[in-house]
Amino acid sequence: MSRNIKVLAIDDEADFCYFVKKNLMQSGMFDVIIATNGAEGIKMAENEKPDIILLDLFMPDMPGEDVAAALGEKASTAKIPILYVTALATNEDVIEGKENKIGNNYILPKPVRTKKLIETIVKILGEY
Amino acid sequence: MAYPIPRKKTIFLVRLMVIITSAYFIIFSPSAGRELEIYAYLFIAFYLMTNLIVAYIPEKYFYDDKIFYGFILCDSILLPAGIYFSGYVGSDLYLMFFFIISLTTMSSSFRYLVMNTLFFSVIYSWLLYKRDLLTGPMAGSYLIQIPFIDVIALFYGYLITTRLKDKDERINEVRERYEQIVQATDVLMCIVDHDNKILFANQKLVRFYGFQDEKSLLGLTISQIYNEDEIESEKSLSHVKSVYENNAMVQYESYDKNHAIWLANTLSPIRDPSSHDVFAVCIISKDITERIEREKNLNDTVEMLRKTRDQLIQKDKMAALGRLASGIAHEMRNPLEIISMGMDYLENNLPDDNPNISESIERIFDAINRAENIIKNILSFSRQSVGEITQIPICPLLDNVLTLAQQAIQKNSVNVQREYENELLEVAGDYNMMEQVFLNLVNNAVDSMKNDKEKRLTIRAYKQLVSEVGYKTGYRRADYFSIGDEMIVVEISDTGKGIPEEILPKIFEPFFTTKAKNEGTGLGLSVAHMIMDRLYGTIDVESRENQGTTFFIKLQPKSKLTKTKER
Repeated sequence: MSRNIKVLAIDDEADFCYFVKKNLMQSGMFDVIIATNGAEGIKMAENEKPDIILLDLFMPDMPGEDVAAALGEKASTAKIPILYVTALATNEDVIEGKENKIGNNYILPKPVRTKKLIETIVKILGEY
Repeated sequence: MAYPIPRKKTIFLVRLMVIITSAYFIIFSPSAGRELEIYAYLFIAFYLMTNLIVAYIPEKYFYDDKIFYGFILCDSILLPAGIYFSGYVGSDLYLMFFFIISLTTMSSSFRYLVMNTLFFSVIYSWLLYKRDLLTGPMAGSYLIQIPFIDVIALFYGYLITTRLKDKDERINEVRERYEQIVQATDVLMCIVDHDNKILFANQKLVRFYGFQDEKSLLGLTISQIYNEDEIESEKSLSHVKSVYENNAMVQYESYDKNHAIWLANTLSPIRDPSSHDVFAVCIISKDITERIEREKNLNDTVEMLRKTRDQLIQKDKMAALGRLASGIAHEMRNPLEIISMGMDYLENNLPDDNPNISESIERIFDAINRAENIIKNILSFSRQSVGEITQIPICPLLDNVLTLAQQAIQKNSVNVQREYENELLEVAGDYNMMEQVFLNLVNNAVDSMKNDKEKRLTIRAYKQLVSEVGYKTGYRRADYFSIGDEMIVVEISDTGKGIPEEILPKIFEPFFTTKAKNEGTGLGLSVAHMIMDRLYGTIDVESRENQGTTFFIKLQPKSKLTKTKER
């Protein structure tokens, strides 16, 4: 891969963002930028044009789904794939051995380990 | 029964007096003939003997007027015989007077008195004649004695018998009234003596126990009449005994199997007016079947309400717990994620030449996985809808569950029995959910038998018609099943240690577990319960400690279409 994959993590859990950044960067494949609320995330997505967005479903300022909708409406960000990484997933949302999606967006339930996160990101990007 | 005069006692005493007086005259009379002496002694002995017989004849025969008058007639012959033997004819009148009045008036019959008086007059005249006293110079004075004594006897006799008659009539009136009361009451009434033998029984009792009349059951014991089994009979006899012993009323309830009725029995002592000792016991039994049934129904209703209330509370509690737990579960995932990610980071950045560190990291990840498993289970509560409800053949599903549990079953050498009523039984449900429920129950059953010698797991599946609705048929049955509905019942039965009664109501509560910390989350049964609720089925349990536990899973045979959407 000529350049690193640019990942935008939008999550109000700053510590989560911190470790995502640390772990992904350490793998050497990723550049990670962080937003700790929805509005900031949308702005950063427009400015930075990440390859993929990791999005929390529940954030104090706006729900992840609204963020996704807002990104979808803008031409510049509409094509960026979104992966929900969330604690809110119910058992029905996530069934072992199946591809899990909310709408067009993939979902990965917390807690997730780095290896799985990287695998999922690579898989999603491979499809695009 | 009335006891106006103790006839036997009176007759015995009067005769004794007559015998003693006669004996006195016979032995010491100056005119007693020497040649008659031996016969005289024999006569006295014979007379005494007859009185002994009187002493041994049961009291009740003295109230039969025929027998009673027979005694008097017998004495009417013996007494003149005594007078004849004494040869002391002239002064015996007062004896006769006394005798005639005393005995004949006891029968309260003036007619008998007259007859007796005339009889005596004739015999006495004959005696006077035999002694040649009617020809001597004293003939007139002897003869005048007869009408004189007749008049006095008749006069006093008349007075006494009419008085007695009045009294008798009054007694009869009172007795009749009592009799009417006793017969008119709606209770079974009898009087028993010391030997539990019936002295009196009212018509209601006579008819109730299928006798012809009162007479045919007099003298029988109460146990013979009640036709009770040994235990019941012993009970009633001991109650009668206690009345005699304690001189106090006893009340108890009994069940008459033959008539299928409940009786409230009151045993009251009938006391001797002078000594206050109990000489009979009056037993009054009232049919209280209706009341008992009502009480039973009431108890059933109360029990049902109590259980329903408990179930509602339980359901509420579980729903609240479910919401709370799922809230907590979601919140826990964030820190858990941070720990997980943080551990990943540490794992990559710590020197890996120290095996202690990598082992520690491994252990922390195990703990994270366990926590995540708990969260997944908890989240089962927050499920909002069930998957697709389809018709599922239940027997292959159960077979599959047994295959999944095969390892545990074999490891514990559990003997599995399948009793399927029909291999083609179908239920409406979600395959995964039901598999989860049954697998959980089978695993629990296997676990419960770990320390038992005999390990038998029985799985039954059969069709049943709902015959009862309410707490007896299981949790919330009324909502899901109506009387006459078909349901498919799956029983999972083990021979394990059973569930103690005091924790039985708690087993469906989330986080309730008797297993060791690492073995169970305490969510299996509560999830099963929740799933059954979602499938419009029920799960009930019956358990006996040290004998085993049976879970009853009752499922809908056909999908309840209108209800399977959102809940």
